[in-house]
Amino acid sequence: MATTTAAVTLTSDLLSDNMSVSASTTCMKAGTTADGLDQMEYGLVEIATGTQFDLVCSTPTASKGSKLYVKNHSIDETYYVKIMIDSQDIGRLYAGDWMFIPADFHDANADVEITALTGTNKIEYVLLHEGTALTAS
Amino acid sequence: MATTTATLTISSTDLLSDELALSTTATLTGAGNSTGLTGTDGLARKTTGNTSEYTLFAAANYTDDKANKVYLKNMSVTAAQYFDIKLGDIQMGRLYAGDWAFFPWNADTGTTPDADVLITPSHSSMTLEHMLFTDE
Repeated sequence: MATTTAAVTLTSDLLSDNMSVSASTTCMKAGTTADGLDQMEYGLVEIATGTQFDLVCSTPTASKGSKLYVKNHSIDETYYVKIMIDSQDIGRLYAGDWMFIPADFHDANADVEITALTGTNKIEYVLLHEGTALTAS
Repeated sequence: MATTTATLTISSTDLLSDELALSTTATLTGAGNSTGLTGTDGLARKTTGNTSEYTLFAAANYTDDKANKVYLKNMSVTAAQYFDIKLGDIQMGRLYAGDWAFFPWNADTGTTPDADVLITPSHSSMTLEHMLFTDE
């Protein structure tokens, strides 16, 4: 099986005591400890302002262990992309920000949607998944 | 100004023919500015008592459209145990044992329902670690 590890470290001096939180996980297929996620998409796209796009164009199998990483490579601090799932606002990914989430894709409407604001944003993404429904040519 | 950073590393030596080693660090700042995030609810854990849906963060308690960030980790070590993560009535995904998530949250109250961060455990007694950085 493929072994893919995702690790995060959060550090902050917001509190009186400096904080450092670390977590690491091996990205497994849903509900198993024996079989790692073994498929991925990795892309870099420029997104012009105004129009809402589906970030992931394929249709990953629903309710699996998919993981999605998105990073905004913009450097202008006023630039951001709005992240939505099924038309529900999740949050704004400002210049330099990244996110890493479990992505359920539970039905045909549950796409991860992205809209660039303020200017053209360059977005990097990685989808680790268990399989997708490919579009027949 | 406080400095809060978030570093991610995704690595694999056998997923592709070439080694995957992706690393990135973000300094967390306010919406549209370079000022560090100014608040946190701190690091905490919640152990559930049943398989009901729990509200982890209520959007109404925060200002809309800020640069808040949410960190979640499922502390379970049993592979089949997961938390369903929802924002409002939209399912984001399942956080399986040991998995973590980090995402922006704009605490949207402009839609129905509010974009509350909701968790539903698959089993009755599970523990979730969580932290919220706010831009208030």
